[in-house]
Amino acid sequence: MVLVILGLAGQLFAQDKLVTGKVTNSQDDSPLPGVTVSVKGSTQGTTTDSQGSFKISVPSGKSLIFSSVGFTQKTVQVGSQTTINVKLDENTSDLEEVVVTGLASSIKRSNAANAISVVKAEQLTGTTKPPYLDNAMQGKVVGANIVANSGAPGGGISVRLRGISSINLSTEPLYVIDGVIIDNSQFNTGAGSRAFSGATTTSNVSSQDQATNRVADINPADIESMEILKGPAAAAMYGTRANAGVIVITTKRGKAGETKINLSQDIGVAQAQRFLGSSNWNDKKIDTFFEGYGIGGYTAEDYKRLLKEANGRTWDYEKLFFGETPIITNTRLNISGGNDKTRFFISGGLNSEPGIMQRTGYGRRSIRLNLDQKFNDRISLGVSSNFINSNSSRSFTGNDNNGVAIGYNIAYIPNFIDLTQRPDGTYPVWGYTGQNPFEIRDKTDNLESTNRTLQSANLNIDIIRKENSLLKLNVVGGLDYFTNENEVYVPDYVAYQQQRANPGASRVSKSRALYSYLQSFLTYSWKVGKVDLQTQAGAVRNIRDFDLTWVQGEGLLPNQRNPLTGAVRVFDQFFQKTQEVAVDFNQEFNWNDKLIGRVGYRMDRSSLNGDNTKWYGFPRASLAINLTKFDFLNTDKINLLKPRFAFGQTGGVPAFGDIYSTLDATIIGGQLGSVTPTTVGNGGLAPERAQEIEAGVDVGLFGNRLNLELTFYNKTIFDFLNPYTLSPGSGVTSIKAFAVGDFENVGTEISLTGKVIEKKDLSLVTTLAFWNNKTTITRLTIPETFAGFGFGAFGRNRLRQGASPTAWYGTPNVNGQPTQYADAQPKYQMSLNTVLKWKNFDFSMLWHTSQGNHNSNLNQELRDEGGNTLDWMEDSDGDGIVNPLDGRLFGINASNNTSVFVQDASYIRLREIAVYYTVPKSFLQGAFGKVIKGAKLGISAQNPITITNYFGYDPESSNFGNRALGFGVDLTPYPSVKRTFFHLSLDF
Amino acid sequence: MNKYIKLATLGIGISLMSSCSLLEVDKILEPNNPTVESIESNATANQISQLGIGLQSTARNGIAAFYETSGSIGREIIRSASTDNRYFSEILGTVDIDPAGIFYGWYGSYNATRRRAELFIRSADNTNSITAAQKAGVRGFAKTIQAYAMLNCLNMLQSSGIRTSFTDLSAPGDLLKPGKFSDYAGGLAYCKTLIDEGNTALGQAGASFAFPMTAGWAGFNTPANFARFNRAIAARIAMYQKDWAGMNTALNQSFLNLSGPLSTGPVFTFSTTAGDLTNPLFQNRNTDGAPWVVQVRVVPEAEAGDTRIAAKMSRRNNPRASGNIAASEFEVFMYPSNTSPISIIRNEELVLMYAEAQLQTNNLVNAENALNIIRTSAGLRAYAGAKTAAALTDELLKQRRYSLFFEGHRWFDMRRYNRLGDLPKDLANHRVFAEMPRPQSEVDWDVRNP
Repeated sequence: MVLVILGLAGQLFAQDKLVTGKVTNSQDDSPLPGVTVSVKGSTQGTTTDSQGSFKISVPSGKSLIFSSVGFTQKTVQVGSQTTINVKLDENTSDLEEVVVTGLASSIKRSNAANAISVVKAEQLTGTTKPPYLDNAMQGKVVGANIVANSGAPGGGISVRLRGISSINLSTEPLYVIDGVIIDNSQFNTGAGSRAFSGATTTSNVSSQDQATNRVADINPADIESMEILKGPAAAAMYGTRANAGVIVITTKRGKAGETKINLSQDIGVAQAQRFLGSSNWNDKKIDTFFEGYGIGGYTAEDYKRLLKEANGRTWDYEKLFFGETPIITNTRLNISGGNDKTRFFISGGLNSEPGIMQRTGYGRRSIRLNLDQKFNDRISLGVSSNFINSNSSRSFTGNDNNGVAIGYNIAYIPNFIDLTQRPDGTYPVWGYTGQNPFEIRDKTDNLESTNRTLQSANLNIDIIRKENSLLKLNVVGGLDYFTNENEVYVPDYVAYQQQRANPGASRVSKSRALYSYLQSFLTYSWKVGKVDLQTQAGAVRNIRDFDLTWVQGEGLLPNQRNPLTGAVRVFDQFFQKTQEVAVDFNQEFNWNDKLIGRVGYRMDRSSLNGDNTKWYGFPRASLAINLTKFDFLNTDKINLLKPRFAFGQTGGVPAFGDIYSTLDATIIGGQLGSVTPTTVGNGGLAPERAQEIEAGVDVGLFGNRLNLELTFYNKTIFDFLNPYTLSPGSGVTSIKAFAVGDFENVGTEISLTGKVIEKKDLSLVTTLAFWNNKTTITRLTIPETFAGFGFGAFGRNRLRQGASPTAWYGTPNVNGQPTQYADAQPKYQMSLNTVLKWKNFDFSMLWHTSQGNHNSNLNQELRDEGGNTLDWMEDSDGDGIVNPLDGRLFGINASNNTSVFVQDASYIRLREIAVYYTVPKSFLQGAFGKVIKGAKLGISAQNPITITNYFGYDPESSNFGNRALGFGVDLTPYPSVKRTFFHLSLDF
Repeated sequence: MNKYIKLATLGIGISLMSSCSLLEVDKILEPNNPTVESIESNATANQISQLGIGLQSTARNGIAAFYETSGSIGREIIRSASTDNRYFSEILGTVDIDPAGIFYGWYGSYNATRRRAELFIRSADNTNSITAAQKAGVRGFAKTIQAYAMLNCLNMLQSSGIRTSFTDLSAPGDLLKPGKFSDYAGGLAYCKTLIDEGNTALGQAGASFAFPMTAGWAGFNTPANFARFNRAIAARIAMYQKDWAGMNTALNQSFLNLSGPLSTGPVFTFSTTAGDLTNPLFQNRNTDGAPWVVQVRVVPEAEAGDTRIAAKMSRRNNPRASGNIAASEFEVFMYPSNTSPISIIRNEELVLMYAEAQLQTNNLVNAENALNIIRTSAGLRAYAGAKTAAALTDELLKQRRYSLFFEGHRWFDMRRYNRLGDLPKDLANHRVFAEMPRPQSEVDWDVRNP
């Protein structure tokens, strides 16, 4: 008793005052437990209990800060009050967003020195429901070029931030979910190999498998926000894996308070965006076609006879194959809530996305549990757990040499030939390839199945808490484990297999990947005068372990799928192991929100480098000057004027295996021998190094009703790696990877947001964005060379000093050098996002345009070869020769060159449009009592309108998948779809 | 500080300290294949065996391109390719040969063989798992293979020469500084050095090799009898050097046998086993893709009854024209199946070399007798022409033309005797090239690495 009195006396001596109160949610007045209540300017604090109540002693003259995850922070001057009741608003304002600045630190966005794009859940999936994460980002990230490789179910999208970041290594950004790096590989399935579509002549790996990339597994609906660190200046703390930028994803977490249950259901329809059409035939056209060209397997007489037999009937093969309008369903159930100690978020999602071609489709099932526990006011632990099962059936599209790929072959089929299945179940063989595409659709499989688990844990401990300083320990660990199974199967009785030496082919691939990640950081926050300082140091370790096995059988026993029943069996087993560690130091300072800066240095080691013990250092520095915080610029008109500068370096580790020179196996006379290789590894490989200088200004005017973000950057990649062709006299053809030069990306990003109308029942917010990028090779130590994938004279990329590496090159050759054509990268992109809210209605719309991007387009060429383009018999220049024979067909006309095939693929696209209606609470209460607390209805569409002159299913296309070079080769992909949805969301 | 924090801090502190290796990255060994490093030092006896087999396997590479290109310019055959007319226009002289073009398949292969042989020698020298005699055996075998491969390479390029020195082959950076080119004489001297060093080493190699000799080397599979193959190649080199005395000496130490079967000699073997090669010179009869047809003068200029025509050529069902070039009635048919072996060098050539050495050293009778061995075996009567050196030289070249048809000799023979002008041209705008130009990539390399 004496002690208590003494204690009280002590407090009274310091003139502290006891304040009590209750914190509630402003929306529904429910109590908010777990809210941090702290005294401004000190580290004193407490949290509210399960009833939202708190009790704290406050020195006189101080203010209290109320903060809680998901709510806008509020500061209250205590004055003479002893009871303070506070209502917190759920967080929607952009300005209070935080963005990452270090591996264990973040900063208020208004203080950030980098142009970091943030995409919140509302923007990502709030309008319509794109099936894949990268898909959902399209048009929403200033400075990004996000392009779908094809419309095939299961995704396959490439994301390039601020131009390309490598020539030969991956140019896809690093994905970090809840602090843990995840895998975004593409796995080859063999679908493009010789036994299947024959797109490539190799029997093993194929560059033309039309594979998906694994970030498609992530359910976009689980995401709370995405921060896009577009270049080294912002991403430097991720070191050697961050050359292509980093996408930091935070998933949804529970909020303390009443348990909320949300059930939402989308029902939609998918259909092909467009068809290219197929022209009708007559005898005159047949004569012209066969005089000028013709295709194998048929003569003009055959065509005339078949045309006569058809007796005026035609078959529209595009519609017969790609004309399905399947029903898409998405079902989600979220349960979240918690108390002052524990918060939880549980979600389950079912996505079903059948394709616009029969027997194709995609499905995903995912469950997630995010749990946060406060052990006491100093220790907290957050755990995220996610399991995903996804399945796709993609059939065969893209390039082809066997009569297998659907789009490729229907480009050649004239509409008077009937290839539909006969009543007796047989498929008539099409003479040109000896195969019937309907048989491929109905009888073959190209299946993929993934089971994936993502786990992460995040531990925070306040080790030392003093009046003006805080020492924190943050440990993040996690793993990404998945198995990816592919099965490609063509039965023995399929026509083209019957012509092969060993009919019937099956390939079963199993990939297992384990990625584990651990980081540990100490953060010390302290104060010197008016300057807040934060010092951070820590270490990172990650391990990747990958195992790919496949078995292929050809010459299968009748009706057997197991490749081991094949007469010819091929196996492969491939292991890949990588270890990386890093140490990182970060120092931030903030002088009264006026000057905000940071410097940092990260050092990396990787087993992918030639020297596994060598540290590679990556510095960073940034400065933001918030002029509006200074007295000389203190007007009501200008709310924010913040010039900012940032610099950073990152690395790109060499590809696995490039440091090794491996012995090849050979056989002679039944004996196994070893031979030294003709392509050698480079034991001295170092990472590619990217350096970025970024400068910009953020402006907020008229009470922040008009916001402008303007950024310029120069991102240079030094010592990029390329195979090095050697003197053949040395007995070695090339070094697998060698540092051969530098290239730069220079660009501008502008984003202008206007809160045009801000009234109680009516608001209109419009964001207009513009961005461009130009890539130039600034140094090249090897002779000019073609690089990346492509189809020869239809357009290839080339390394030439002073030119863009993504420019197309081709015939005619002038002085032995191919001619340069336009670029695959867009000249600029723009987007316009509008959100209109009127009473209970929300209307939103996103337009996006990409201008000046050029594809190597073979769609028209193939249809011209087949005689099926709509303008086939037209003669634009009036010289008596029909268009295709007048220079559009490859090799037909001497004047014909690559310029015919490098085509402008600019487009304007309505990416998303939606209108939602929130059912009034009064109505719900009347109708359902207290059972249903909220309800929202809506309709939306994804990609409903595309305006383009481009000849193809979609100006976004890449036959070779995600590559730095060789993207934009468009060869009869699976047509892209547009989706229309009806949405219903209920809160219980 | 409460107990949770103390415990947690303590725990994390201990785990960090107990694992300083947290900041270490293991040296990850290539998990999928053995690396070159694994054989560069301390190779096991088994690895040495496998390298020996490997070199025997890859020594086969390049032979088809070598025979095809030299046979085309030497007017023995025409590759009548449907899809690429360069095989019967450019190579026959309608335009200059494109030094970056399609006719250099042999160049990379033979240089790769040389490098592989060199690394084999190094591997053997840097291990204690085999005896000194076995190391000498590796050196003797590998140098002999190098000499065989580089002589073929050099003859194609003649005055353009070959690179006769290496920088350090195992350091990639040094691969950027390839050795210099030697001229033809220098190249021949280089080949002679290789073959003689090989011979010396074989003399120190004991009774057997440290690696298995595959079936094609039957009769040449010990250091002692492999040395007789070495001397056969040495005789070839001496022939190109016009060192007739040296040629005689080498022949005497080779497997030359004036009374034995002409077919004796090592061969490259082939099989359809997965991972093995099939005979790259085998062709089915009467194909229309890209057959090797016989140049139109070859058959008419043979003596009546020469059995070598029927043994090596086959009459096509449909004579095959190549562009504007008159149709060939015959096509090459030297190998009955795709697993038939290809001769590397055989007694028949040694007898012809013996004849030439005797002729050049004015032993005309010996020369005539040797030529008659060849004639008899080809079903022809004994030589009845003038017994002068000039006439016998004509006869020698004729017998070489048919005995060594499409085996990489005719072009060089005519060049050695300054008779390229006598080679038949199919069309007026054709030329007979004296040599292949230096590959463009090598020219570029020397510009960059002067």
